[in-house]
Amino acid sequence: MIPASFEYFSPRTVPEAVHLLARYGPEAKLLAGGHSLVPLMKLRLAAPRYIIDLNRIDGLSYIREEDGVLRLGALTRHAEIEHSELIRARYPLLADAARVISDPLVRNMGTIGGSLAHADPAGDWGAAMLAAGAEVVAVGPGGTRTIPIDGFFEGTFVTALRPDEVLTEIRLPRAAKDAGGAYLKLERKVGDFAIAAVGVGLLLDGGGTCQQVGIGLCNVGPISLRAAQASRLLSGRKPEESVLARAAEAAAAECDPADDLRGPADYKRDMVRVLTLRALRLAVQRARGGA
Amino acid sequence: MKVEGTYTFPAPRERIWALLNDPAVLARATPGVKTLTPQGPDHYAARIELAVGPVRGVYDGTVSITEKAPPERMTLRVEGGGRPGTIRATGELRLVEQDGRTVVHYTGEAQITGLIASVGHRLIGGVARQIAGEFFKAVERELPR
Repeated sequence: MIPASFEYFSPRTVPEAVHLLARYGPEAKLLAGGHSLVPLMKLRLAAPRYIIDLNRIDGLSYIREEDGVLRLGALTRHAEIEHSELIRARYPLLADAARVISDPLVRNMGTIGGSLAHADPAGDWGAAMLAAGAEVVAVGPGGTRTIPIDGFFEGTFVTALRPDEVLTEIRLPRAAKDAGGAYLKLERKVGDFAIAAVGVGLLLDGGGTCQQVGIGLCNVGPISLRAAQASRLLSGRKPEESVLARAAEAAAAECDPADDLRGPADYKRDMVRVLTLRALRLAVQRARGGA
Repeated sequence: MKVEGTYTFPAPRERIWALLNDPAVLARATPGVKTLTPQGPDHYAARIELAVGPVRGVYDGTVSITEKAPPERMTLRVEGGGRPGTIRATGELRLVEQDGRTVVHYTGEAQITGLIASVGHRLIGGVARQIAGEFFKAVERELPR
């Protein structure tokens, strides 16, 4: 399949890209890793008249801790996150998620910013970022703003980004010593979207109780979902098995899966329960210093 | 593919029934409607332009109200198609009045074919609910303040 014709721009700076977006508006699409947009263009399901390629903009790909936050440049490839020593050592939730995104070919090209801006409910980063309590940084004609991840996903493929904004960075709270996280994904085969996946981030305080619990659910609703009720059941409690089990049941009740080729809704709901329980156990174990 | 849901309007049932049967309201409230032309009683030809993220399509089709029991129930049939694929759907709206408010229960069943079905199958349910929600919100905006 051959895409429909389009006009191609490769700006060298973010302001240039914003200017192009403002000029061409809804007829334009930003190109980052291209592993969601290009397949749609090949099928001609998407036929944007203008492509604004972000890959020639320097300084949008980085992983660094500063000022108490972890900063991820929007053009950082999934594989760069997967192989980062810093991420492996201190951010197990991100390391787990990066490892299970699609296949190596996609991971070498696809970007974290592109994935979030695409806002596919089956995107693994969406659920992981909800669990991590991330913020998204957007640059538009009026300057820079940060968008909390909770208000970011507005619908299937719909985000809080304005048509003339470019997502430039993702910020996460810097990992504390007693933080733990995990991301578990059930898939029919390697490279597929999740039947269901669950991300967990938490802290264990000095008394061994759970704090700052985040639970994100992937591909079990029209958008990436936060299991808020499940998190509340854990906050301020010791992570005993009965507490984890109740939280896992709450997460299953909070998700909103559809019957489709990956299975009936009831089955997916139960898989959310199982994955949440396992992810919570693993996150707690890691927070206590285990692997 | 099945879709169902509810929407609550802050107005009595007769009022909502009238809105849902007014072609001008339907044309304004249905997401993406470019034209809605009456073809006979309770039968319309429609051209709809829908963008679901990067997937934009123009669809031509017909909408018919096949059964009516004013002011509580109506059955709809939608048929249409465009480059991304075709849709044949039936739906039912049930209006229940509760303390001066109206709860609309909607259920629908659709057969979708073509590219959109093979590529977007996993997304259709969520998108359909999203579109239904936008439609009812727009109908609510038609209520006098």
